Amino acid sequence: MSISLDHVFHIYAKKTPFEQLGLNDVCLDLKNYSFTALVGHTGSGKSTLVQHITGLLLPDKGKVNVDEYQITPNKKQNKDIKKIREKIGLVFQFPEYQLFEDTVLKDVAFGPKNFGISEEEALKRAKEALKQVGLNETYFERSPFELSGGEKRRVAIAGIIAIKPQVLILDEPTAGLDPQGSVSMMKLFEGLNKQGTTIIMVTHDMDLVLEYADHVIVMKDGCIAKECSPIELFSSSDYEELSLDYPHVFEFAKMLQTKGFNIDLEKVKNIDSLADQIKKGRDKKYE
Amino acid sequence: MNNISIGRYVPYNSKIHKLDPRLKLFAMILFMVEIFIRFDVGNAYMDFIMYGIIGIIVLILMLISHIKISSLFKQLKSLWFMVLLLFIFNLFLVKEGDFFLIFNSVKIYYKAIFDTLYIFIRLLLMLALTMILTATTTPLDLTYAIEWYLTPLKVIKVPAHEIAMTISIALRFIPTLLDETDRIMKAQASRGVDFENGKFKEKIRAIVSLIVPLLVSAFQRSEDLANAMEARGYNPGAKRTRYRILKWKIGDTLALVLSLLFFAGVLYISIAKIDFVAMFISFFN
Repeated sequence: MSISLDHVFHIYAKKTPFEQLGLNDVCLDLKNYSFTALVGHTGSGKSTLVQHITGLLLPDKGKVNVDEYQITPNKKQNKDIKKIREKIGLVFQFPEYQLFEDTVLKDVAFGPKNFGISEEEALKRAKEALKQVGLNETYFERSPFELSGGEKRRVAIAGIIAIKPQVLILDEPTAGLDPQGSVSMMKLFEGLNKQGTTIIMVTHDMDLVLEYADHVIVMKDGCIAKECSPIELFSSSDYEELSLDYPHVFEFAKMLQTKGFNIDLEKVKNIDSLADQIKKGRDKKYE
Repeated sequence: MNNISIGRYVPYNSKIHKLDPRLKLFAMILFMVEIFIRFDVGNAYMDFIMYGIIGIIVLILMLISHIKISSLFKQLKSLWFMVLLLFIFNLFLVKEGDFFLIFNSVKIYYKAIFDTLYIFIRLLLMLALTMILTATTTPLDLTYAIEWYLTPLKVIKVPAHEIAMTISIALRFIPTLLDETDRIMKAQASRGVDFENGKFKEKIRAIVSLIVPLLVSAFQRSEDLANAMEARGYNPGAKRTRYRILKWKIGDTLALVLSLLFFAGVLYISIAKIDFVAMFISFFN
């Protein structure tokens, strides 16, 4: 599966006083099977970019290539968009608002059915997807509207997973979830990634980037400002200019290092690995 | 969704933008009445001459308020069909006066063509006027104006403030709901819903998948808003002061006098049955 953007421009509210540049000459090759994080300030064009990949927004100039299909500025040429959407699942921010069926199971099966999968197979996939997101049989026949916020979000995400996309794009999947909920959500995406799904995650949470992502794209004012691995990004000297926060764990590890602690920054991913590093550093000291 | 421009406030700093909303509302009503006045002098020219005069003034107003003429014609797109249907009906139903030509034994009368044209011109002018009003006046100002006009009715217990508040909340949420619609449509489109193509049954399903979440979120929003208003001590019956006070300026008086004069002129021409064409001919004879 290959996704690439070729000099893509997008202008919002063209030819009105509200005109605004959304994407400014974006070229990008997305890596297969990667866990890519898309970060940047509010209004930097992250959401605009992911909506171009699934053809929800059309470029004003340039083109998007997904395998053998193309998305071009010309509306009439884009007949394969539905096929692209079957391969690339997009989960919007606060996806719980897209639920509408009377039972959880039906709602999850809605997506696969739209892509021409038989009723039986769709229900089978729906059950699998619901189990993957951690909702058991007792939820299947309940109304999605009587669930809690976190459960609704799981149902909505299951609705996309059931389509079995090769690429899963997530727009702030953990926004508004409690810490435990976000950890289990991230573990789910990590698992999907290991099973061979490419994951692209839009996020503001740099701790998530450090812990899960193997590749980062930084956006600024509609352009791609930087593309590298998380550790390269956080250790780069011009990081401050991107007006992003440091991950808490990384900041702490760096402070320890400047105080003379022996820590390998590349191995610090989360609190556990930081603790390991601290332990190792201490053991070395006493040797 | 972003191409819905009718009824949208466009922030410029023109003379029309600065006028008092009460005056703009009043002047628009005067213009609307003028559009519906007929000039029955025995020939069709007089009506068209007057439409032309009103049209030129409306055009000037549009230019002053920075509205593009092309945006008016964009709004017309949906009206073409109606006008065509009307024309077909008129062709068969209007059988008065002279006929224009005979087509396969169906007589086409002048009046049928003119009646359709009148309606088309009126629609066009009315659309232009509403565009001028809504593009130059913020929804909030407009509701202040409505509330001001309703104030005398408070004597007979008409809840003027509540009506104005309801209107302003409704107007306030139009863009929000449009954004919401756009968002839900995109979310469902990534689940494979096709809002443009598909069979009738699929289309119904597509619309259901849009309307149910939209209603759910609209109710959610209204509840949140009601709670937020109550939390801030909103009391519909209480006397309220206002942050923005409407101020009547000299320019407003001038505009009022001008629009009243124009209205009086049009009314006089209609009642006195003044015929410009006849005047023109007699002047040269």
